Amino acid sequence: MKAEQQQQSIAPGSATFPSQMPRPPPVTEQAITTEAELLAKNQITPNDVLALPGITQGFLCSPSANVYNIEFTKFQIRDLDTEHVLFEIAKPENETEENLQAQAESARYVRYRFAPNFLKLKTVGATVEFKVGDVPITHFRMIERHFFKDRLLKCFDFEFGFCMPNSRNNCEHIYEFPQLSQQLMDDMINNPNETRSDSFYFVENKLVMHNKADYSYDA
Amino acid sequence: MGFLKILRKQRAREREMRILILGLDNAGKTTLMKKFLDEPTDTIEPTLGFDIKTVHFKDFQLNLWDVGGQKSLRSYWKNYFESTDALIWVVDSSDRERLLQCSEELKKLLGEERLAGASLLVLANKSDLPGAIDVNSIAQVLDLHSIKSHHWKIFSCCALSGDRLVQAMTWLCDDVGSRLFILD
Repeated sequence: MKAEQQQQSIAPGSATFPSQMPRPPPVTEQAITTEAELLAKNQITPNDVLALPGITQGFLCSPSANVYNIEFTKFQIRDLDTEHVLFEIAKPENETEENLQAQAESARYVRYRFAPNFLKLKTVGATVEFKVGDVPITHFRMIERHFFKDRLLKCFDFEFGFCMPNSRNNCEHIYEFPQLSQQLMDDMINNPNETRSDSFYFVENKLVMHNKADYSYDA
Repeated sequence: MGFLKILRKQRAREREMRILILGLDNAGKTTLMKKFLDEPTDTIEPTLGFDIKTVHFKDFQLNLWDVGGQKSLRSYWKNYFESTDALIWVVDSSDRERLLQCSEELKKLLGEERLAGASLLVLANKSDLPGAIDVNSIAQVLDLHSIKSHHWKIFSCCALSGDRLVQAMTWLCDDVGSRLFILD
């Protein structure tokens, strides 16, 4: 019975790109102050975002901060125990300049939808593929923080290191999912889109990209 | 209790290996990596950057870094040397014309200070092709027996069939493991 349940396949997830960014409820007054202080800074560092008390209200940098022309072209999630692909999205090739600009804006916020079983996963492989522009990147780092309401679930920190100019790079890294209590899982399932993440990207410890996502587990 | 948890976490991190996969273009680096990971190998394009994969194997977490091998990218290899525990050097056994170039590039790598102490696994790939050079001759041209600074071993293999790949990776993990994780 238990083995049978474990064999149950998880329905693939889906993603949409809201044209208007859904604003999260404010976490605390202190958080709003902190965020305003960060926005006033000349540059934002990894330590700045690691110290944030909650999900940010808005983006901490604009798309124009991406002076290295880093472009994410593919994203995939797979269950490492079963090797099933749970989610996949790829950017179409041969886009016009105008479309690319509009896409860059809307792609900054993704709304994901998964089946409830997704929360029971133990290890997940997340693959990201990205292109780099004409300038080499000496140190590329990603920090991703996941929250349910005001509770930090997990923080992922990955160093890509050096990226060659005019390159296409691929990285799959393993996420060990935190073990969630049944009550917390039920809360997450019953509160769609209250699970959120901030993805921050740094070149030489300076924020160049900020993407956001929210998640529901009721598919 | 807290101490044991910290110790376990520390040990878990220490059982991680960074493995750099290099070789001339078209040697089969990406195909070998995908075959080892049991991923489809039917559509492989030249690697024009890096390809990072993480996998659990023999109680270790292997962080595999596959970096593009074409000539214009080789000057960037040095940016990936830091903290490398093992180097996998992939040779195209059927590429007679470039075997000397292959030997020269390997020699440069072995002279790199930041790769000192890294285990060296040479994979003589495409050994199944007609006209492929045998593994002993490749070892001779690469002058492997003169290497004193690195633990090394050469395996003939075939990326497409996966022949001898697990055996080769097992040697590599044992060699790095015995050097880095003595307390285990």
